[in-house]
Amino acid sequence: MTDEPRPGQPPPAPEPKPAAPAKPPVVLPDPVFNTANGRLLFAEDRLWPNRVWKGMFSLPRYRNGALMLAGIIVAGTAFVAAVGELDSRVRPVFNWLSAQAAALSLPALLFPAAWIVVKVLAITGVIVAAPIFLVWWERKISAHMQSRFGPMVTGGFHGWLQTVADGIKLFLKENITPVTADRWVHLLGPIVALGPVFLAFAPVCFGRELAAADLDIGVVYIFAMTGVSVLGIMMAGWGSGNKYSLLGGLRAAAQLVSYEIPRAFSVIPVIMLAGSLNLTKIVAAQSGWWFDGIPVLPRWFIFYPVVGQLSFLIFLITSVAETNRTPFDIPEAESELVSGFHTEYSGLKFSFFFLAEYAYMTLGCCLMAAFFLGGGAAPWPFLSFIPSWAWFTVKVLGLVFCFMWFRWTFPRFRVDRLMDFNWKFLLPWSFANIAIAGLYVML
Amino acid sequence: MRYFQTVLNACADIGKGLWITLRTMVKPAITVQYPDEKLVPYPGFRGVLLYDAEICISCSLCVKACPSECIQLESRKNEAGKRVPKVSWYSLDVGKCNFCRLCEEACPTKPKAVWHSRDFEAVFSSREEMVRYWRKGTEYPGQWYDPVTRTYKPVAGQVSLQTVPERILY
Repeated sequence: MTDEPRPGQPPPAPEPKPAAPAKPPVVLPDPVFNTANGRLLFAEDRLWPNRVWKGMFSLPRYRNGALMLAGIIVAGTAFVAAVGELDSRVRPVFNWLSAQAAALSLPALLFPAAWIVVKVLAITGVIVAAPIFLVWWERKISAHMQSRFGPMVTGGFHGWLQTVADGIKLFLKENITPVTADRWVHLLGPIVALGPVFLAFAPVCFGRELAAADLDIGVVYIFAMTGVSVLGIMMAGWGSGNKYSLLGGLRAAAQLVSYEIPRAFSVIPVIMLAGSLNLTKIVAAQSGWWFDGIPVLPRWFIFYPVVGQLSFLIFLITSVAETNRTPFDIPEAESELVSGFHTEYSGLKFSFFFLAEYAYMTLGCCLMAAFFLGGGAAPWPFLSFIPSWAWFTVKVLGLVFCFMWFRWTFPRFRVDRLMDFNWKFLLPWSFANIAIAGLYVML
Repeated sequence: MRYFQTVLNACADIGKGLWITLRTMVKPAITVQYPDEKLVPYPGFRGVLLYDAEICISCSLCVKACPSECIQLESRKNEAGKRVPKVSWYSLDVGKCNFCRLCEEACPTKPKAVWHSRDFEAVFSSREEMVRYWRKGTEYPGQWYDPVTRTYKPVAGQVSLQTVPERILY
């Protein structure tokens, strides 16, 4: 009890502690970030799209990119203008060679035959080289549409050699033939699918006098050849001995045969207005200008009121469907059929299908450029210093971009909706379109 | 009329979808090109544990706090054989560590003797490398014992984001 302080008395003062020795304040080293092995991105450096979108060109990487793009366009224009029309470059060579052949008194048919081989090789080069570029382009476009980069490493500049590396990989891969497969049908499927593409490119007019074969029935010939490819896809589906492949092949048959019809009908107005099946003549029929020849709007078939736009849209949609690309990719729907008719294909045989798809895409775009966009014609006369083959390429690439744009925007059609869309929408409208074109021809 | 209305609406929706993808395409990508670009985590990120043998008072609170028992230490002894509040060696198995920060919270010193760095690039090629040892004068990232050559080796290239790691006073 004695220890408790009694009320009224102040508590005893605590004994003063001995003064603690003054501690030095804790000094921590500032953090140092190691920038030697990579660019470090702090929270404030994160380039979230919406924030960057506002002040886009204040960023050096955007400014440099825009400058680079402008430089590429200017340099490319200057280059193609310097090269000029290809036929004017090739004709002296041809004349000289034919003179040499005549001087050597070679057999009369030998030199034309050799020249045909040269043309075939040139076209084959285009068909084989185009997918190498287009696949890379597609990967970049799809990546950027999904806020990604796509291939960035191979080849140094934005992965431009990625497709070549992939091609080498496909070339070296094992060719697997399943035990249940019908060996010959399985082998012939990709060949039958790819072969007609090379033939179908023959009458395509790549610019002024740049058609390998100036066929009078060019349009019919191209449609006939593309029709053969369906057989290859069906063979692949049947010969693989796999239910997914079979379903894919059957779907492909149904889809491609159905969409072939409005595709052909949508071209008929063009043929009616041009009065020819020859692609060169169809292109030539689109020269001139609307509004009494004032060079504002060219007389391309896409600019014919109603009929041009309708047939262009129908042809565009059916071309996407013909190349088995999304939204019409039910023959190879990944989520339903593994990968459809080419499930059992690997290595080079798979790359044949791949090549065929991209070659058909190029072919469809070439046809669209020739039928509706005036082929190699410049839209305005002051731009006609750019040669026709460059205009044709630009138009084809723009349409190819549209194909890729559709592919990476739209979800896949359901099978029955796909058929509904074709038979109940595209086909009646293509018929109506022919009727409208008939009115044009009558007036 | 209703038919044309449907068609027009469908076209408008298709155009909307196309516009969205086109707009996204010209916006910059948000991908970080990892080996060339590295995201620095926010402060307070629980990365690889680092340790400072100069500050540690070898109180074993971190050993007791650790739920996965990845820390071991031994105190130094003076000439009389009595333990002093300095650490003789300290080991930490990064393979067992579950990055919970309980050891850092338990550590009584100021600044913390064991703390989480912001580094996320701990890469090991053997199990021995996962166990890190510290003694007096060892660098922050520690060393690992190579049983083949029977030597202690630095954990080179494992803590690469910061050369002088960030520490927080609290």
